[in-house]
Amino acid sequence: MAGLELLSDQGYRLDGRKSTELRKIQARMGVFDQADGSAYLEQGRTIALAVVYGPHDVRGSRAKIQHDRAVINCQYSMATFSTAERKRRPHGDRKSTEMSLHLKETFEAAILTHLYPRSQIDIYVKILQSDGGNYSACVNAATLAVIDAGIPMRDYVCACTVGFVDDTPLADMNHAEESGGGTNLALALLPRGGQIALLQMDARLHQDHLDTLMEAAMTACKGVSKVLDEVVRQHLQETVILTGE
Amino acid sequence: MILFNSFRTADPLEYHKSFLKENCRPDGRELDEFRTTTLNIGPISTAEGSALVKIGNTAVMCGIKAELTVPPSDTPNKGYIVPNVDMPPLCTSKVRSGPPEEQAQAASQFIADVIESSEIIRKEDLCIQKEKLCWVLYCDIMCLDYDGNLLDTCIVALLAALKNTQLPKVTINKDTDVPEVDLLQKSPININKHPIGSSFAVFDNTIIIVDPTGDEESLATAVMTLVTDEEGRLCALHKPGGTALSGEKLQHCIGRAATRHREIMKLVDKIIESMKK
Repeated sequence: MAGLELLSDQGYRLDGRKSTELRKIQARMGVFDQADGSAYLEQGRTIALAVVYGPHDVRGSRAKIQHDRAVINCQYSMATFSTAERKRRPHGDRKSTEMSLHLKETFEAAILTHLYPRSQIDIYVKILQSDGGNYSACVNAATLAVIDAGIPMRDYVCACTVGFVDDTPLADMNHAEESGGGTNLALALLPRGGQIALLQMDARLHQDHLDTLMEAAMTACKGVSKVLDEVVRQHLQETVILTGE
Repeated sequence: MILFNSFRTADPLEYHKSFLKENCRPDGRELDEFRTTTLNIGPISTAEGSALVKIGNTAVMCGIKAELTVPPSDTPNKGYIVPNVDMPPLCTSKVRSGPPEEQAQAASQFIADVIESSEIIRKEDLCIQKEKLCWVLYCDIMCLDYDGNLLDTCIVALLAALKNTQLPKVTINKDTDVPEVDLLQKSPININKHPIGSSFAVFDNTIIIVDPTGDEESLATAVMTLVTDEEGRLCALHKPGGTALSGEKLQHCIGRAATRHREIMKLVDKIIESMKK
């Protein structure tokens, strides 16, 4: 992209970060009353809201019922005011449907669905402000919301996007970096065992670089998991204090 | 305590009535007391104006996006405002995904009527050049958590977001006839009037409560929303069916709505002042 240097000679990115530095993550759990679990997460300037209902009876078509596990229903949508240009079709378009499917697959790998046969867990994620890394912010927010709802999971699910510029992996890209052309790899990881829940990359990458990129992505996700863990412990402390002895 | 909760699930109407007899409500409020209202102005930087309002547990986010367009042919010197209320499935377990809920559509129409009747913004102010260019403000109101009293919350969110909106300066290049937008020079919109709504629910034609929660709304025999502005004028009155209400009770409600208007305006002004610092 003419004029925009994603990585300067001194190793600084457009917003002043180093190549392995993540954006600031701030999150709060239990923000809504009606939902069983909810979380609000800010990753840099991307704001995601996740709400979980369940486990409850399967609604809608009875054909969806699984006799041995819970069905997970995910819906991803963006607020019309979340992008610089007003988004005319916030849900139902192909990108949103694809994201919803990815989220569903990610959480099916993490949630212990065999504990809730014949029931349904709904995960709704909404992006209120979009500045790159939408999928990662959604997964991180949804993890916190599922924990807030008390639904057991194998591990935290942490996600991060990484790019590759000038032979250097860039962790946690914002919108300008994502649209600058070049590789975008999204990784959702279960950090303790190093297990990959979802891996997606659309762009060309030489296979020699794949290992470096994967390493960088895993390190970034582990960084995210530390932040999420801190948020959960903080929330628990506050709740314990509020409910008394 | 467990017995109490089963009473609430088994016979919600009797449960609520037992409180109303003592002139109070299950959450400890008086009959004419509103829930705590909190306001967060300007949380979303990608929108031209935004606000997040919570009345009790009901949370509503409003985002304003401004676009340039040609004015409508029947009113060539006016811009326009397009409100849209959305109740996504995340706001309550009773809503399912699919086409917009009827409640959301009815609310959108109500907000459009309030904008029209209260003249919250003079549409002439949105016109940049007659017949050629005007602003269109898309007001997207999204309910994030629903616990009754959607309309009041939406109106406050809309007002706060409009007060927060900054529009860039637009000039039309005389030679090329192309609009030039100067994003560095932003100015707030002129808010003409400040409408604020108050919602009421009626039980059995006798007891009127203010600011019903989700449970109270579903058990009430009638609901009503009144919108007043700062001059004490009535902008809108919405009473969709339900049991009849006497004129005297209606006057009492109008009085309560006027008091509510003052409370909310003080809150909004306080927040805006604190943001300027």
